[in-house]
Amino acid sequence: MSPSRRWSLKYSVAAASFAILLAACGGSTASKAPSAAASTAPSTAASTAPASVAPSVAAYDGIAYPKIAVDCKNRPPNYTGEFAQIKAIDKLTVEFDLCAPDVAFLSKIAFSTNGIQDADYLAAHAKDKSIVRAPNGTGPYKFKEWISGDHITMVANPDYWGDAKAISPTLIFKWADTAEKRLQDLQAGPETASGIDNVAPADFAAVSSNPALQLINRDAFTILYLGFNVDDAPWNNEAVRQAIGIGIDRKRINDTFNPAGSSVADYFTPCSVPGGCEGNPWPAFDKAASIAALKAANFDFTKTYDLYYRPKVRGYFPNPPGVAQDIQAQFADLGIKLTIHVEDNATYLSNSSAGKYSLFLLGWGGDYPDMTDFVDYHFGTGANKAFGTKFKDLTDALTAGATQIDPAKRIEIYKQVNDLIAKHVPMIPLNHAASAAAYQANVTGAQAGPLGNDAFWPVKPGDQPQIVFEQNSETSGLYCGDESDGDSLRNCEQMFDPLYTYKIGGTDVIPNLATSCDPNPEGTVWTCHLRDGVKFHDGATLDANDVVMTYAVQWDANSPLHVGNSGAFDYFPGLFGGFLPKP
Amino acid sequence: MSRYIIRRLLLTIPVLAGILILVFFLSHILPGSQCRALIGERATDAMCADFDHLHGLDLPVYQQFVNYVAGLAQGDLGASVKTSQPVTTLLIERLPVTIELSFYALLFAVPLGVLLGIVSASRRNSSMDVVTMAGANLGVSVPIFVLGLMLAFVFSYLLKGTVLWLPPSGRLTPGLTITPLVVSWGLEDLKGPLRNIIDFFSNIYTFNALITAQWVIFVDAFRHLILPAIALGTIPLAIIARITRSSLLDVLGLDYIRTARAKGLSDKAVVRHHALPNSMLPVVTIFGLQVGALLGGAVLTETIFNLSGVGRAVSESIASRDYAVVQGFVVVIAIGYMFVNLAVDISYAFLDPRIRLQ
Amino acid sequence: MTAPYQGAGREVGVEEAELVRRQSNIWRDTGRNVVHQRNAIVGLFILGFLVLIAVFADQITIYPPDQVLIGVVPGARPAAPPCVHAFGCPEDKPQFLMGTDPNVRDEYSRVVHGARVSLFVGFATVGFAIMLGMLAGLVAGYAGGWGDNVIMRAMDILLVFPALLLAISIVTALGQSLINAQLAIGIVAIPIYARITRASVLSVKETDFVTASRALGESSRGLIFRRILPNSITPLIVAGTLGIAGAVLDVAALSFLGLGAQPPLAEWGSMIGLDSGRLFSAPWLIIFPGIALSLTVFGFNLLGDGLRDALDPRLNR
Repeated sequence: MSPSRRWSLKYSVAAASFAILLAACGGSTASKAPSAAASTAPSTAASTAPASVAPSVAAYDGIAYPKIAVDCKNRPPNYTGEFAQIKAIDKLTVEFDLCAPDVAFLSKIAFSTNGIQDADYLAAHAKDKSIVRAPNGTGPYKFKEWISGDHITMVANPDYWGDAKAISPTLIFKWADTAEKRLQDLQAGPETASGIDNVAPADFAAVSSNPALQLINRDAFTILYLGFNVDDAPWNNEAVRQAIGIGIDRKRINDTFNPAGSSVADYFTPCSVPGGCEGNPWPAFDKAASIAALKAANFDFTKTYDLYYRPKVRGYFPNPPGVAQDIQAQFADLGIKLTIHVEDNATYLSNSSAGKYSLFLLGWGGDYPDMTDFVDYHFGTGANKAFGTKFKDLTDALTAGATQIDPAKRIEIYKQVNDLIAKHVPMIPLNHAASAAAYQANVTGAQAGPLGNDAFWPVKPGDQPQIVFEQNSETSGLYCGDESDGDSLRNCEQMFDPLYTYKIGGTDVIPNLATSCDPNPEGTVWTCHLRDGVKFHDGATLDANDVVMTYAVQWDANSPLHVGNSGAFDYFPGLFGGFLPKP
Repeated sequence: MSRYIIRRLLLTIPVLAGILILVFFLSHILPGSQCRALIGERATDAMCADFDHLHGLDLPVYQQFVNYVAGLAQGDLGASVKTSQPVTTLLIERLPVTIELSFYALLFAVPLGVLLGIVSASRRNSSMDVVTMAGANLGVSVPIFVLGLMLAFVFSYLLKGTVLWLPPSGRLTPGLTITPLVVSWGLEDLKGPLRNIIDFFSNIYTFNALITAQWVIFVDAFRHLILPAIALGTIPLAIIARITRSSLLDVLGLDYIRTARAKGLSDKAVVRHHALPNSMLPVVTIFGLQVGALLGGAVLTETIFNLSGVGRAVSESIASRDYAVVQGFVVVIAIGYMFVNLAVDISYAFLDPRIRLQ
Repeated sequence: MTAPYQGAGREVGVEEAELVRRQSNIWRDTGRNVVHQRNAIVGLFILGFLVLIAVFADQITIYPPDQVLIGVVPGARPAAPPCVHAFGCPEDKPQFLMGTDPNVRDEYSRVVHGARVSLFVGFATVGFAIMLGMLAGLVAGYAGGWGDNVIMRAMDILLVFPALLLAISIVTALGQSLINAQLAIGIVAIPIYARITRASVLSVKETDFVTASRALGESSRGLIFRRILPNSITPLIVAGTLGIAGAVLDVAALSFLGLGAQPPLAEWGSMIGLDSGRLFSAPWLIIFPGIALSLTVFGFNLLGDGLRDALDPRLNR
């Protein structure tokens, strides 16, 4: 045996002996990092933690966070969040106290950023950010290694609590930034890729007609819109905006640039969202009426106006230059001259959110199936300045809708919301773009749900020993509480479980780590019952403290553990209203 | 000589300071905030205000610069905002890729270029000479990205299934992993600068595989480097061939060569012993320029062949406004370039004793 | 980055400037020498051909370069291979000499009109760089002392900064467009011409006839324009011609990365960049613009080489 091998063998034997000794003595070990994969040099095979140890459960010591509940009637200044307190009632029961009813609560706790972490692990690894590259969850896959810039390897978790254990023993995520590169890798064979995300629309036909591949459509859960800043001339005239609203042939754009499965948007929100398609649909395309209305509004046809877009391909926007040029052509048909400005990604986002663009193309990919994820974000009181001054009747309706528990009354409110949007026209909804994933033909169990939460544990990669999935970009970090791009979230979804989860391939929520979460009649207290006997990858057992700490670390901006990756925790305020501010 | 070196080193300081200032202020005046580049459509104003405060971006720019330089003095190059990896770690991961690629590109370009130049100069104005020089001219005319794409097309697509097939992207075939040096040598617990140095060399896959006898990995890594090295090395090859030829021709016209020939030495001996050594000076100059250019400019090759090297890391960081990464990498590249220039200038003294370093 | 790759031109140009002009008619001699240089002839031919194509682009193409042809030409499909009826392509398929691009535009028309863009890019970028570089070099060389030091250190910084990365930063700061890409490449190229001008200014400044002219009362401005500048023109022309080749390549590289010309502008680098993913499925989309780019750069390189050989009195002919 070579000297180096002999050396590491010596160490492994010593480590194993130590672990056995400790187990025999019955003390609980603190959670250790599951793998040695720090991100420096290419790391090797995982050193999984030593065998787990029976936890000591003398008396239950549950946490309440914060210790003294937030007084909803006397809120701390600048606190816009909905939580008053999160308490561990007993070892397997957690209570969420809200300041106002939240109809979408179950959808929100099912979101990927709320995968449950182990409290001790957070205490040990959140502060120095080691948790970002060494995750410890309860999911069907556990982390093995991360070869920076190249791929991430996960292995099946044999102790997974659920019935649906991972079929394939190994799951590898890699990435390539263009659809064509991904397709080339898929066509190179099953060793190079079992499946890829986001096939280019132009290649849908090629993949479908290839007997060696299968195309899996991803239902549209997106919206692409042409936005106005309602404070800038000439778009500050509501009649002008309404005129343009019927002057754009949205079907032409959808048919020309979007893949099969996409649809023309008659509402801002896709119809799979409850309340999304209530009220009157967007008025039909009528070029003559549009021109007449523009003239009636004294539109100045002599000037040239600006249209802005960024050339970044997104799920809602497969062909930015094509659409921008078509919009320019359609405006020309109305007699309006447009100049197109191309802006770089970061510049575009900063400027558009500050309201600097009077006419711009942007969109949104939905996160969870509720109106608050779509309309509130864009037109509610907390929305940014992209569309200019907000409309009070619209913001009032939205606030009412977010807190209305009665489903029938909620639908009525959103009917009103959609009609108000069609009246004020802060933007013109263009289409809901679908997308698709592609796999080798002999792969079974693969899905492409509208929320992007693809589950890989039911996937069998044909006759390959591993699943190799190629996504759009490298995962930024595996601490999902502080990640926001779909690729990172999809990665941690394989290794972490939230309390509830979305049905595979769909948008309904079903119990997951919690056997049930029940609201009180007012909708302000949600009690969640946890499953018994769930183990984390490092051997620790799930209890209510873990749930409380998972949420508290994100919620409390003052906590020393509120470090994350970039520190933004940007999904939390969107889901739950805001952080606990500094005292 | 040592006074010269010291003087040159002292002169690099103001240039380095200038580079640092330039790259710092250039990245910070780029429009578009780091927060929005990172978070995307979901970023709200409140979120970005907190983010900016957390990362010190709401301080005045000169204050941020002072903090950055203070960190530099302690060896802290900052961290990537996107992945929280320290810039030093990213350097250790990415720089070896570019250096390895450049090494093989020059390994391809220099010997072949010098040889072609010698052959052309010896047979001046023959058809061989004309063809070689026309080829060299073509070599500097074809854009790297076109050449790279064409090589990939021929060797990865047209020749698929044949023994000549070469992989079109990546460093290793998926499924193959290289064992890091620290693991091969049992040094996993080592920390500090020595560990960084070992990891750096560990990331040069061909070197690592060579010294740890992982032959399969060596061959695989080498095969993945062939196409990018040729694409990157073609322009230096052409330039070196031309410079060698013209420099050799200049020297061959000098008196002492005529004397050597009159003494009865064969052409080959004349070229090899008298002409060649004295004509190497311009070649070394160009070599120095190429190394610097390669270090900074492998962006196109890395993009086409999907290699995560320095050039691509910087261009991606510019797009995502990851200031610390841009600053750290550019400064390191600039330092590398200046040291190569210094080495080239010092080598003049050895190549030509007539040159006094001033 | 290609600007330093033209190191051959830059380096020789500097040596060039250190020689004093002969007194015979430089233009007649140059003309005669140029004509005798094979390189220059071939280069001129290629460039002449390109200029003709650029000028008559509209006449030799059927469709405009940015017109989407769905519905206009029956049977036109995206990314279709070249179909020439004379070479055997069936008559029922529409004829496209170089095929169509993924947006169903005529690739041949785009390649031909790209000549206009590239020629403009080359001349404008280098013109800008020469103008500013000459100014910097003139001031540095003539003023000497502190001004010289400051300006040349600034040029050093620009040179040591990795060129393509500096260009990327400038384009990102100013916005992604062809004009900004040209500006960025131009800025990066300034130090080359500054150095050349400064070297030739220095070489002439201390010569006898300049001292004599000054003694005879010639003004500074007259000195600059009538004695010093003409000395630097030839190395600048040589470097400039080679620099045009570099500029065309560099702007194409930026466009390839998505940072220069934006669609639907038919610029060769941008076309290759957008379609690089279709390398295996539609290689003609890369081959034709690639050949056009290489040919253009080749022509300028040949011409530059020829000019340099013609203007270098030391080469034995």
